[in-house]
Amino acid sequence: MIKEYYPWSGEFTACNSNSCVAVVILNIEYTPPDKVAIYGPLKTENIGIEKIVANLISNPNIRFLVICGEDIRGHKSGSSIVALNKNGIDAKNRIIDAPGAIPYIENIDKKAIDRFQSQIEIINLIGETNKEIIDKSIEKCIEESPPSFGKSYISIRIKQKTASLDDKRALHSKIVLGYLGNVKKRGE
Amino acid sequence: MFSFTKEQKINDISGIIIGGQPGIYPTVLFGGFFFKGVPDYESSKKLIKNMYDLSNKTGNPVIPDFFIKKKNYIEDTINFIIDNVPKDKPFSIDIIEPDLKIEVLSYLNEKNILTRTVYNSIHVGITDEEINALKKFTPNTVILVAFNPKDKSPDGKIEVLENGANLTNIGLLALVKELKIKNVLVDTAAMAPGDNSGASIAAIPVIKEEYGYPTGCAIHNVVEKSNWLKDFNNARKTVDASSNMNISLFGGDFAIYGPVENSDLVFPIVAWQDILVSEYTENYFGTKPVEFHPRRKLFR
Repeated sequence: MIKEYYPWSGEFTACNSNSCVAVVILNIEYTPPDKVAIYGPLKTENIGIEKIVANLISNPNIRFLVICGEDIRGHKSGSSIVALNKNGIDAKNRIIDAPGAIPYIENIDKKAIDRFQSQIEIINLIGETNKEIIDKSIEKCIEESPPSFGKSYISIRIKQKTASLDDKRALHSKIVLGYLGNVKKRGE
Repeated sequence: MFSFTKEQKINDISGIIIGGQPGIYPTVLFGGFFFKGVPDYESSKKLIKNMYDLSNKTGNPVIPDFFIKKKNYIEDTINFIIDNVPKDKPFSIDIIEPDLKIEVLSYLNEKNILTRTVYNSIHVGITDEEINALKKFTPNTVILVAFNPKDKSPDGKIEVLENGANLTNIGLLALVKELKIKNVLVDTAAMAPGDNSGASIAAIPVIKEEYGYPTGCAIHNVVEKSNWLKDFNNARKTVDASSNMNISLFGGDFAIYGPVENSDLVFPIVAWQDILVSEYTENYFGTKPVEFHPRRKLFR
């Protein structure tokens, strides 16, 4: 499985697609061994988490997500993805009990979140920066060697409404520009 | 280069005039301190002085923006502000964590400088505790960040201002009204490259025509988040600084330009763009630049 297989773009590195471990690296300089499936940083508690969820469930071999390093100040992105795995989202799409500033999951569907909760077990090493301990934890997951979760789940990004000249929600939809640059509200 | 039908609000933030029709008032520049590591107060004194010198040279007003990331930096940073930002000038404080925001508000109140404070920022992640703290310790000015996690288009940004996009109980504009905030600046929430990053620029004229509030953004964040630019390291700083001129071009009023170390590049670039905008808007819309506008300095 090559990097292009993971459908949502991001700063990740894809390694062994048959591996059962993915690693999220928070605020530390650390490169996991290449026997993991995929690894990369996590910064934001909304869009960043969505990308990780979508990419993890696209590879059914991934069963563990190791989260290591110091959590992102303010955003608390690491703790927020732990909360998502444990609690899911509420009716307003907010991750239940997430400590982050704006922990909303808006661009992936509920089924993808359910799948993330069932497929992935989180190994919470938030606060851990000792590379040997993180390596050992990854090793332990690999030794467990759980079976694949079955079929790949490709999460489609919930599409924002697309723009057309007549579309009231198009870019600049609320305004009309005169040729000299005078702006007025559409319809006025 | 625009002229708006909607009457444009002009705010006086402790002597810094911001807002209005394009071409009249120069772009206000927010330069950031203490983003990384332990705050270096000593070297920052020179950087503050440099900002004000550049402001005098170009005509672009300046508001230093202080990032406070840890509880144990609160007192030292605010005392640094008191000692080093001229007493009659505003400053802004940039904090992510709600708990920290509340503590900082209380300390700013204790030091009696809330009237000079630009609160950076209120967004859809605001907590009830933060709202209560803002009711008790109300700064004169806030930056509203129009970040809508489900719709990053200009209309999505309008949605959070108008009704909170179902993420907050009321719209952010209604909230600041309830809090009796005197000056409101709208930040159009620049996103990462590939995530409708251009919408933060396109939203500027939309929001100004819709509400008339002074509007701008931290467009430099887009450049900072770019991986692609790693292949062009020599150009990174120039791309970062020059991205700010989009704000002026699209009728915006302020740029939060990131690290204060970039000031030497940012000020002349933005001043130059303000000059272009002013030349055009005066010719076609009759908007005359104020006495301290960069264009006046050009022809001095």
